[in-house]
Amino acid sequence: MKILTTRFGTISVKKEKIIHMPSGMLGFPEMKRFVLFRHKENSPFFWYQSVDEPSLAFVVTDPFLFMPDYSVEADEAAKSMSWGDAVSSDLELYVVANIPRGEPDKITANLIGPIVVNIKKRQAVQMVVANSPYSHRFPLAGIN
Amino acid sequence: MLVITRKPGERITIGDNIVVTVIEVKGSLVRLGVEAPKSISIHRQEIYDRIRKQNMEASEIDASDLAVAVSILNKTQSSGE
Repeated sequence: MKILTTRFGTISVKKEKIIHMPSGMLGFPEMKRFVLFRHKENSPFFWYQSVDEPSLAFVVTDPFLFMPDYSVEADEAAKSMSWGDAVSSDLELYVVANIPRGEPDKITANLIGPIVVNIKKRQAVQMVVANSPYSHRFPLAGIN
Repeated sequence: MLVITRKPGERITIGDNIVVTVIEVKGSLVRLGVEAPKSISIHRQEIYDRIRKQNMEASEIDASDLAVAVSILNKTQSSGE
């Protein structure tokens, strides 16, 4: 299917590649369908583009690249999504990156709101991680 | 806003399937127990707000800033840091 996007023009995506978020992203509850694609070669980032809103796209990354011992309890998320039979190999974890405009060296990742994707079911949920030592502005470039 | 006074051990019900229990009051801290269907997410408001705000900001990310950030990260990596 064709998806209209502000940043990438019209992109073509297989319907089965769409990721469904029944609750949307926090702050964007109406946007329930996304596609995930690599930012570019040699980049640790992915674009998480809304299917329904052309201008809405997040940048996400694999938290373990930056924090190998990162750990969150995905059980609650799996329960809320009724993924009862999900095994951990079905689940992928992403964190949302943020860059203050014009300050790319200040790139951070939000470690308390990871997105858990069930790649088998093509569903995802953004978790709220409470009681954790993690920052919502974890510096990725290590210098800010 | 509905305001209700409750003692420790007392409950309020919201709708048919949400029950909030006042477990303990200790100085300025109130411990609450919430029973609700698993489909209803319950969060501390300030953490929820923090993530929501980060999402709002992150959705404004600039593609050229991202490209520069990647080259900064790759440089840091190849210099063995």
